[in-house]
Amino acid sequence: MKDKNTTYNSKRTSQSVAFWIFRFFSMLVVAILFLILSFIIYKGIGVINWDFITKMPENGMTEGGILPAIIGTLCLVGGSILFAFPIGVLSGIYVNEYAKNGWFIRFVRMMTNNLAGIPSIVFGRFGMALFVNYFKFGTSIIAGSLTLGLMVLPIVIRTTEEALKSIDDSFRHGSYALGASKLETIRRVTLPMAFPNIVTGLVLSIGRVSGETAPILFTAAAYFLPKLPSSITDPVMALPYHLYVLSTSGTDLEASRSMAYGTALVLVVMVLFVNLLANALRKFFSKKVKMN
Amino acid sequence: MTHLDNELHMLKTEMGNMLHTVLFQLDKAKEACINGNNDLAREVVAREKRVNAYELKIDRDCENIIALFNPVAIDLRLVLSTLKINTNLERIGDFAEGLAKISLVQSNGFDKELAELVSLTEIFDDAIEMLSDAKVAFEKENSQLAASILSKDDLLDNVNRKANSLIEEYIKKNPDKIAQALDMISIVRKIERIGDHCSNIAEEIIFYIEAKVLKHQDKK
Amino acid sequence: MYKIEAKDVNLYYGDFHALKGISMSMKPNTVTALIGPSGCGKSTFLRTLNRMNDLIESVKITGLVTVDGEDIYRKNINIDELRKHVGMVFQKPNPFPKSIFENVAYGLRVNGENNRSFIEDKVKESLVQAALWEEVKDKLKKSAFELSGGQQQRLCIARALAISPSVLLMDEPASALDPISTAKIEELIYELKTNYTIVIVTHNMQQAGRVSDHTAFFYMGDLIEYGETKKVFTNPDHTQTQNYITGRFG
Repeated sequence: MKDKNTTYNSKRTSQSVAFWIFRFFSMLVVAILFLILSFIIYKGIGVINWDFITKMPENGMTEGGILPAIIGTLCLVGGSILFAFPIGVLSGIYVNEYAKNGWFIRFVRMMTNNLAGIPSIVFGRFGMALFVNYFKFGTSIIAGSLTLGLMVLPIVIRTTEEALKSIDDSFRHGSYALGASKLETIRRVTLPMAFPNIVTGLVLSIGRVSGETAPILFTAAAYFLPKLPSSITDPVMALPYHLYVLSTSGTDLEASRSMAYGTALVLVVMVLFVNLLANALRKFFSKKVKMN
Repeated sequence: MTHLDNELHMLKTEMGNMLHTVLFQLDKAKEACINGNNDLAREVVAREKRVNAYELKIDRDCENIIALFNPVAIDLRLVLSTLKINTNLERIGDFAEGLAKISLVQSNGFDKELAELVSLTEIFDDAIEMLSDAKVAFEKENSQLAASILSKDDLLDNVNRKANSLIEEYIKKNPDKIAQALDMISIVRKIERIGDHCSNIAEEIIFYIEAKVLKHQDKK
Repeated sequence: MYKIEAKDVNLYYGDFHALKGISMSMKPNTVTALIGPSGCGKSTFLRTLNRMNDLIESVKITGLVTVDGEDIYRKNINIDELRKHVGMVFQKPNPFPKSIFENVAYGLRVNGENNRSFIEDKVKESLVQAALWEEVKDKLKKSAFELSGGQQQRLCIARALAISPSVLLMDEPASALDPISTAKIEELIYELKTNYTIVIVTHNMQQAGRVSDHTAFFYMGDLIEYGETKKVFTNPDHTQTQNYITGRFG
C-alpha cells in the first residue's frame, strides 16, 4: 500500500512541476508581447496626434504626418486581398471539392506549399521583373498588390482547403440526396459552413501583407511622395517601408526617430484593429451559419 | 393507435366473431334438441366449417403477432389467452355440432319426462349463459363476470353426476325408449363438457386481464 | 406494376464484389426491410436505388435497376431528378446548420421553387407528415441543431418529403436514436406507407418485423431470401435466414 501512495504522490509532484513550467513559458510569451508593445507605445505615443495621422510629411520628414504611408498601406492591403482572396478561395474549393485524388492534386498541393516557402524578397524581385517591367505597370499600387497577393495566395488556398475539409461529408450527401448539384451544395451548404474558418485565413493574410517590406520595395514603394496616389498606376508610400526610411536614411535621423516610433505604433495598431474587425466578422458568420 | 394496437384490436374482433358464431351454434343446437327442429340441426352441422375456419385464422394471427411484434405484458397475455380460448371454443363448436347430429338421429324429439329428468332446458340455458357471459367478459374485459362463470359450472356437474342413475331408472321404467335415453346421456355429457370448456375460457380471460392463474385450483 | 425493380445487379468496390446478382421487385405503397449482418451489402444495395454510390470512387455496377419502369442507370438520365423522386434519410441525422424552416425548404429551393407561400405551405405539410409540426410550429426560425436527436431525424424525414418523392429510402433511420424516438419513427413509417413506397435498411430484426410488409435477407453480398415479412418471420425458406433471425449467428 505504501508503494501506491508514494507513486501517486510523486506523480502529482512531477505534474505540478510540469504545469508550472508551462505556465512560466506562457507568461513569458505574454510578457514579451507586452514588452514590445509597451516599448513602442512609450517611444511613439509622444508623436501621435491628429495631425500625425492626417498630414503629409514636412520638412524632410522630420515634422508633419504619415498620411500617405497610411493610405498606401491600406491600398496595398486592399489590393492584394482583392487579388488573392477570390483566386485563393476558388482554388481551395476546386482542390477540395472537385479534383479527384490523384497525382495531379498531389502535385498542386506540393506546389502550393512550395510557393508559401519562397522568401519575400524573392517575390519582390519576381514582382519587379513581371509586373513592373514586363507588364510595364511601373512601380505602382497594382504591381505591389499583385506581388503581395501572390505571396499570400498559398495561405488563402490552404486555409480554404482545410476549412472545407473539416466539414463532414454527411452534409454534402444530405444535399445531394435532395437533388442538389455539386455547385449548389457548395454554394448553399459547404461554403457558408466553411466561411468562418476561411475568414480566419483572411485575417492571417492581412496581418502578413501589412507588415511586409521586401515585396513592395521594388514594386510599389516610394521614398517620398509629395501627393497622395491618384490611380493604381501610381507608386505609394507604405508604413513598413516608411519606418525603414525614417530609421535609416532620413535627412536628420535624430529628429525623425520619434516619427519612426510613431509610424511603428500606427502600423501595430492598424494590424491589431484589422484583426479585431476580422474576428468580429468571423463571429458574425459563425452565428449566421447556425441560424440562417 | 399504433400498428400493434391495430393488430390486437383485429384479433379481439375476430375472437368476438368466433364467440358469437359458436354461441349461435349452441343456441340453435338447443332448439333442435328440445323442439326436434331438423332444419336448424342441419344448419348447425353446415356452419361448423365456419367455426373451424375461425380457429385456423386466429391461430395464424396469433403466431404472426408474436413473430412480428414480440408483445409483452398484457399484450402477450391477450395473445396467449386468445390462443387457448380458440382451442376451447373450437371444441365447444364441435360439441354443438355433435348435439345437432344427435337431434337429427332423434328426429322426433325427446320424451318430455326424460328431458325434465335431466333438466335439459336448464342445463342448456346454463351452458349458453356461461358462453354468453364469457363473450361479454372477453369483449368488455370484465374479470368479475368471468369469475362468476366458474361457479355456474356446478349445476352442470351435478346433473352429469346424477344422470347415469337417473336415466338407469328411466330405462327400467321405459324400456322402449332406451335409444332416446342413451342419446340423452350423450347430450348431458356433451353439455357438461361444454361447461368445462367455458370455465377454461373464463380462466383464460382472468389470466389475460389480471395475470392471475386459476387453473388446477380446487373449486371454492 | 412494380415501383422498383432490380435485375441481376452486381456491384464492385474496386475488386471487392459487394453485391452478387441481386434481383428483387418492390410494389408501390409497401415497406420493404433489408436485413442482414454488418457488411452484407444491404446499405450498398439501398444506395444503388438513388445512385448515391456514384459518389464513391472506384464503384462499378452492372445489371438493371428501374424505378417506375425506367432504367435509372441509362446514359442521359438527370440524376438530380432521380433523387427528387427517390428520397433518402440517413443513419445519423444530418440537418443543415440552418433554421428548421430553411432545412425543410432546402429541397424546394434547390429545385427552383420561388413562390413564398407555396414553400411555406409545403414546409408545414411536410412537418405535419413527419409528425413534427406540433413540436416546432412556434420555433421554425430556430436552428435545427437545437432539436433533440429524434426530432432532428424527423426533420430530415420532413426535408425529404418536402420535394414530394414517391419512394423513400431509409438507411437505419432509428439506429442512433433512443427507444421512444425509435417507436415514433416506426409509427411514422407505418403511416407514410399509404402515400410512399419505402425501403428501409435495419440491423434490428424486430424493427423489420414491426414495420415492413416484405423482408429481404442479405448475406455477404447475396440475397438469400426475399418474401412477405410474415412468412420470413414465422417460417423462412432458408436455414440461413432462420439462423439469422433467431440470433444464432451474425
